[in-house]
Amino acid sequence: MAEVALRQLLVCCGTGCLANDARAVADALETALQDANLDISVERGSVELKRTGCNGFCERGPIVKIHPDDVSYYRVKPEHAESIVASIGAEPYKPLLFRGDDKQPVTRQVDNPFYAHQTKIALRNIGQIDPLNIDDYLQAGGYLALQKALLMPTDEIIAAVVASGLRGRGGAGFPTGIKWRSANSYPSLPRYVVCNGDEGDPGAFMDRSILEGDPHSVIEGLAIAALAVGAEQGFLYIRDEYGLAVKNVAAALQAAADCGYLGDDICGSGRKLSLEIVRGGGAFVCGESTALMSSIEGYVGEPRAKYIRSVERGLWGQPTVLNNVETLANVPYIITFGGAEYAKVGTAGSKGTKVFSLVGKVKRSGLVEVPMGVTLRSLIYDVGGGIAQDRPFKAIQTGGPSGGCLPESLLDLEVDFESLLEHHAMVGSGGMIVMDDRSCMVEVAHYYVDFLCGESCGKCTPCREGLRHMRDILAGICAGHGQPSDIDELEELAFCLQEAALCALGKTAANPVLSTLRYFREEFEAHLNEQRCPAGVCPSLTVMQVDSEACTACGACFKACPVGAVHQLAAVGAAAAVDEHQAGNDKKADKPRYEVDVMACTACGSCREACRFEAVKAVKKEAVCA
Amino acid sequence: MRLTIDGVACEAEAGEFVKAVAERAGITIPSICHHSALPGLAACRLCLVEATPAGKRTEVVTSCVYPVSEGLQVVTMSERIQRLRRTVLKLLICRAPAAEGRLAEYCQEYGVQNNFTPPDPDEKCILCGLCVKACEELGPAAIATVMRGVDKQIQSAFAEAPTDCIGCSSCAKVCPTGKISCTDDGESRVIWGKRFHLEKCPVCGRPFATSEELAWLTHRQVGESLDLTLCPSCRAQQAAKQSVRG
Repeated sequence: MAEVALRQLLVCCGTGCLANDARAVADALETALQDANLDISVERGSVELKRTGCNGFCERGPIVKIHPDDVSYYRVKPEHAESIVASIGAEPYKPLLFRGDDKQPVTRQVDNPFYAHQTKIALRNIGQIDPLNIDDYLQAGGYLALQKALLMPTDEIIAAVVASGLRGRGGAGFPTGIKWRSANSYPSLPRYVVCNGDEGDPGAFMDRSILEGDPHSVIEGLAIAALAVGAEQGFLYIRDEYGLAVKNVAAALQAAADCGYLGDDICGSGRKLSLEIVRGGGAFVCGESTALMSSIEGYVGEPRAKYIRSVERGLWGQPTVLNNVETLANVPYIITFGGAEYAKVGTAGSKGTKVFSLVGKVKRSGLVEVPMGVTLRSLIYDVGGGIAQDRPFKAIQTGGPSGGCLPESLLDLEVDFESLLEHHAMVGSGGMIVMDDRSCMVEVAHYYVDFLCGESCGKCTPCREGLRHMRDILAGICAGHGQPSDIDELEELAFCLQEAALCALGKTAANPVLSTLRYFREEFEAHLNEQRCPAGVCPSLTVMQVDSEACTACGACFKACPVGAVHQLAAVGAAAAVDEHQAGNDKKADKPRYEVDVMACTACGSCREACRFEAVKAVKKEAVCA
Repeated sequence: MRLTIDGVACEAEAGEFVKAVAERAGITIPSICHHSALPGLAACRLCLVEATPAGKRTEVVTSCVYPVSEGLQVVTMSERIQRLRRTVLKLLICRAPAAEGRLAEYCQEYGVQNNFTPPDPDEKCILCGLCVKACEELGPAAIATVMRGVDKQIQSAFAEAPTDCIGCSSCAKVCPTGKISCTDDGESRVIWGKRFHLEKCPVCGRPFATSEELAWLTHRQVGESLDLTLCPSCRAQQAAKQSVRG
């Protein structure tokens, strides 16, 4: 094993940070370290640079951490390299530290409110280790769980996972241990294990982050699953667009095989397991278990009826266990520390933690792992820091296209599988999209239905045709030519989807519509009855207007408008004022005025976003244009 | 094993599906995408029934692929099922207003009117996929579904006359809505934009199969002992004569 350096410089090279030039940052730091090495080697110890996986706080990336001093730098650029290297073992370099609302610099990650409320189990190694170096994973206790499991009877492995209460993290929340047990109960051989890494929900990237940042934990989890169900072959089905994930998992598989953790004789036990990567077919529906298996078999990725479960007849008609990436990443922890230890975290029915991707209109967005049972309020306000620009909260969309939108009255809801289902939303794969008062819920429903129209496999009538009609109806409502019968029609189509669609994606596809109808019905009614979009979003019903009272004539709206619809008018000035005395008192009198040309305005909202004085307002188009 | 369908006690073998068992008992369940010679597709969703397996809760399932189990109770015509079938029919007739065959009859039976605006008033295809299944099972899989979601279509590769099509016309025969056109003029057959020569039976002189289909059957060694030069009817007559003589 390599000699452990006294200090480590951890450079986040997750996809988010790479997009922000993390590679150049790492290179610059490497050069700076080499240049500085001579005079710091004795006093400050040798420093090793590591390119790690995603730290979750992608919004403030690239992130560089100094370990073990626990110093974290955010939004690092290559030109900061020398200052960072100079700060190793010395005073932290203040300009790059995190600053919250109080503007005070925060050095340690544990003091950063984004991280302070998190409990990391599935993400335990990510950001700490180099995913391409198996030694890093081994030093973090990797593959000990597999070695322990090799010595355990199958029943005991399964019992530990059952006792942990771990439930599938991919969406449905089926108890993992029970799934393994039932696959084991069918005598047919061979059996297969599959890791579902075909993450497709808009805004969700937890599986991506785990596969990229800690691929060995997933491989180890899958190997333990294979031991538990007696499988000797397994597949990692990874979304084709996840290039870095595929690369890192492929390297990890090779390293694990080279070290004897995979192959024909795992750790000398005589047990066999070969794992291979299957690149996804590029369809959202391939994340559905039966469609995924069709895709692995080489057929079109379309689901089949699940009256006979995959644990009985899955891949090539054989018993198959399919688990999500995040589920598998939890497994080594459970085997190492025991099911009871894992079950200490979470709620009665939902144990452990869940990784959420908290995105949308929050001050701090990113990937967060919190115990099950945390309230939505805590997620949004403690972890996320509240709504961006301190605007009012309107809704949180949970669980991706199969989930629903929850209103402010449910902010104190404790998030777990049951509680969200009760309120017509879902944990799903863990997407959390926060919306402020400038989000139109009809438009949100339309967005999700439109997404699903393109991603439905099109095999069954309710999903293919029903979604198209729902999309057309919702588009009509947004455009202001909805019919009074539209809401009934939407509800009837939703009922048909829920009851009659072929697969779980179809059965839940109406959730975005049903939940917005349930909690934001008055917005639908305003569109339908008054041809008004209360959030000021739908372009057919809305135009922007400048409120001359509130306007400070800063010109931000004028600059922001992409279509030149904001016009600068000449200053009112003394000449234009009827009463000279009044004009003299008016501070704005010599400043220009701004006005929106209602015929040119596309209601994109750029001017409203740009205005810091609430002077740009969305108004009903009809009222202005009439 | 024993199960009950609409109160009628039925016997079934393990591995059978509810729809087949119901039909044997004289209970018809509507469906468009089902053909008794092909595996169930569960695509059209008209054959929905309410199923209650022994000791479990009631579910809405598609009877064409729902396996029988001991003590299973099935209701084929509840209020819930009728409501769902009405919506499914409405969606299907809007998609394919020009469809021939059962669809229009079902719509009448269930009192369904097309109150949506159809995207294409001349469309016949309901995208049930029976033609694709038939081609996969009987032919060279020359056609497939392409695209997905609302853009899904049944197509040959690159929407060109399919090079591997054998002109057997199985796809057209199973099509429940008359979408796939297949025209025979006594000498040749045109299907999927491709012209095939029709072989004539040396006994009765009727054109009965394309040269490509006969080559395919020979290649697949289907009916090794059959004389593939004869049409099925003359072949049957010949076999009957032989068995009388034999």
